[in-house]
Amino acid sequence: MSGAVKANKKLNEEKILAVVFLAPALILILCMTVAPIFYAINTSLHATEYAQIKEFIGLQYYKEILGSAKGWYSIFNSVTYVLMSLILVIPLGTISAVLLNKKIAGRTIIRTLVIIPWVLSQTVTALLWKWLLNSNYGPVSYIYYSITGQKVDFFNTPLAAKFTVVLANVWNSFPIVLILILAALQSISSEIYEAAQVDGSTKLQTFFKITLPLLKPTILTAVVLQSMEYFNMVTLIYTLTSGGPFDATQTVSVLAFKEGFDYWHLGYGSASSIIILCLNMLFSIFYMKILRKKD
Amino acid sequence: MAKGYSTMGKEKFSISTIVTYIVLLLFIFVMIIPIFWGLMTSLKGTGEINRFPPTIIPSVLDTTNYYKVLFLSNFTTYFKNSVLVTVLCVFVSTVIAGHAAYAISRFNIRFKNQLMFGILMTSMVPAVALLIPLYIMGVKTGIYNTRFMLVLVYTSWRTPMLTWILKGFFDSVPLAIEEAAMIDGCSRLRTFYTIVIPMSQPGIVSSALLTAVYVWNDFLVSFSFVTNEKLRTVSVGLYSYITQYGVQWGELLSAVMITIIPIIILFVLLQKKFVDGMAAGAVKG
Repeated sequence: MSGAVKANKKLNEEKILAVVFLAPALILILCMTVAPIFYAINTSLHATEYAQIKEFIGLQYYKEILGSAKGWYSIFNSVTYVLMSLILVIPLGTISAVLLNKKIAGRTIIRTLVIIPWVLSQTVTALLWKWLLNSNYGPVSYIYYSITGQKVDFFNTPLAAKFTVVLANVWNSFPIVLILILAALQSISSEIYEAAQVDGSTKLQTFFKITLPLLKPTILTAVVLQSMEYFNMVTLIYTLTSGGPFDATQTVSVLAFKEGFDYWHLGYGSASSIIILCLNMLFSIFYMKILRKKD
Repeated sequence: MAKGYSTMGKEKFSISTIVTYIVLLLFIFVMIIPIFWGLMTSLKGTGEINRFPPTIIPSVLDTTNYYKVLFLSNFTTYFKNSVLVTVLCVFVSTVIAGHAAYAISRFNIRFKNQLMFGILMTSMVPAVALLIPLYIMGVKTGIYNTRFMLVLVYTSWRTPMLTWILKGFFDSVPLAIEEAAMIDGCSRLRTFYTIVIPMSQPGIVSSALLTAVYVWNDFLVSFSFVTNEKLRTVSVGLYSYITQYGVQWGELLSAVMITIIPIIILFVLLQKKFVDGMAAGAVKG
């Protein structure tokens, strides 16, 4: 066999191998992610009766969602949920990361204890908080009672419920931000800090003039990633409040899920899903732009 | 550990160190309280649970709740289902994504960048947007209400992110080692299995752990695609304590503890692997 033939044979072998290696992954992605999107678009344009797809009705579901108070209220809820969570998660994650980056005794144990909630599921988070804030037997309710003489029900007043959901979310997800920022902090060289110290800058100055600007790209990444995460979140809210009371915690994602699996309005649910998907695509484009800037 | 901002040395007991400890202890307190309160409740008897003002530490240690959950309920079935589905998903998704990642990392493929971009985009499609169409598709094909559907959905959804992370790990294996092996007559396939995989083992373990946590913790997929009680997984099992019998908090919290203790132990032992995998996923995907 001559060299060229051998090399050719090898190239063919690689081609076959490449196809064999890639095919299962691509088939799975096409069948379980790409195809359902088109299926959902189709469903959202037809009248449905349980899992039966009936006559074509065009954009009627979309009009129903975007033309109703319920639809806009859920969009408003999504936005406030994302913003309130971010306002707490980002500073808390940054502060704890900066503190855990100091070389203090017991750092590893402290870090472990602080990030434990991250491995717990949203269902478990919801259940633990539901019990902690229980109005009849909970310790928080008791403390509130001994101060004010009144019992408080965190799940029956709309405003309190909104905060409760955000709080549980922050508890469960701020460790992610902590981990991201801690990793970024550890890659900052200590020489910069030594130079700052030599120049006589105070700790606060060092933090705002050096640390924070260097962390900016990481914080931005965390903001975008967490916004998407919170916007798409169903489990935590559904298991904690089911979107209530009076739809006060019903975000778009929860609405889409409930329309689909509580009320079996699969057409309406599909249309909400597509709206969620479009908003996600906007987010993603924004995220790509940030990533590219970073490179 | 990398060189961080050091306050060690002369300033050991400075005010800033004390403040650091106080703030961190506050963090620990808030993070631990819900778990601690749940654990204490799970060890109380029904009478003590329904007492106001509540007791913090159980006055009588009562393990009836654990007994009921472990021996008188379906919870062990849910637990077994979760273990089975998690193990299957971790195995299948790692194998499938691993091969795809290697192909993208090493072979000359046309439109490679477009392919990677496409995979990244699909990893961003939110679960909630796919549940309804998959439900209808599942009912029509007859796989609705089977463990197979759960494994299929989880595996497919984890594949893009896993491919993306694993490609990063394979990229960092030096090409020279592989080339040397291939000159010695080692085939592509053997080089991949006997050299590249063992060398990227830490990365593979990290990403497999993340998949395990994802599947173990998931509620949505399992809740949407399985109604048969015999096939139910733990997350949905926990939730069903609320809807079915009114809330039996003692039993519910015992079940919660049984669910989270294995994960917490795993996490404490393998913390670095969890964190590495998470960082790789966030930076790249």
